[in-house]
Amino acid sequence: MTAPQPSDRAGRDAAWRILAELNVPSEPGNERRATEQVAEVVRPLGLEPGRLERLKTAVAEATMNAMEHGNRYRPETPVVIEVLASDEDLSVRITDEGESPVLSPESQAPDLEAKLEGLQTPRGWGLFLIKNMVDDMRVTGDGAHHTVELVLHLEDPKRGGQ
Amino acid sequence: MVERYLEASVRHTPAGAVVDLRGEIDAFAEEALGAAYAEAEVGDPEAILLNFEGVDYINSTGIALIVGLLAKARASKRRLLACNLSDHYVEIFNITRLSDFMNVFPDEESAIREASGHRSKASAKDLKPEA
Repeated sequence: MTAPQPSDRAGRDAAWRILAELNVPSEPGNERRATEQVAEVVRPLGLEPGRLERLKTAVAEATMNAMEHGNRYRPETPVVIEVLASDEDLSVRITDEGESPVLSPESQAPDLEAKLEGLQTPRGWGLFLIKNMVDDMRVTGDGAHHTVELVLHLEDPKRGGQ
Repeated sequence: MVERYLEASVRHTPAGAVVDLRGEIDAFAEEALGAAYAEAEVGDPEAILLNFEGVDYINSTGIALIVGLLAKARASKRRLLACNLSDHYVEIFNITRLSDFMNVFPDEESAIREASGHRSKASAKDLKPEA
């Protein structure tokens, strides 16, 4: 599977370096394995521990979605995870072989009160969590693949660096 | 990596039931969490405290399981409390608004203290003669 090129961002450095490409069999529980592998790959970047934990949660949720909804938990159909970095950003691109239309994160906003009243299923937190864990998230698809791109700014202007 | 399935045990205290959780709260945790919660409900305690001290992973399915417990607790007019969450999961409880509906405490001692205080106030109110 060839994943598309990482998103370019106006005004940001587009010189991406590929740090790793991982193949994860679509089996329940493998999102933990993916998370630890990505954490190991990004270790040299020295992310602040809180940001690393948020990245790990986002990777776990995106990988779980890809295994469950995209690849229907077929172990022979791997989820492909690319880890890339530029001088300014870290990008983790998680691709499955789902053919259904791409879901918009905005259309999935969970309502806890509605869930507690039984008006919504208790589930449905995945995309919401991902969106809140990273600086930017994009979901794309071409009819044969879905890709979720997770972006962390390596120099967060709000924090004055990491 | 080694997966750590959820283990849960229950203690009954005067302030309420404490559910000690160890391992991962994900889809595999449903049975253990449900059984522990049912055991905690025995005796109809006013409060049930989920002690997350031994929990190192909660995913979105785990969040859904906790939402389910919270719905059960509210239906029974029971308070559901949480303690010993890591900073990361406190943030997730805030983002999901779980912390708006269940008090989150840094440790078991402060949770028990608050539950005991709440119980004393409720008892005093019960004893107050009707006007």
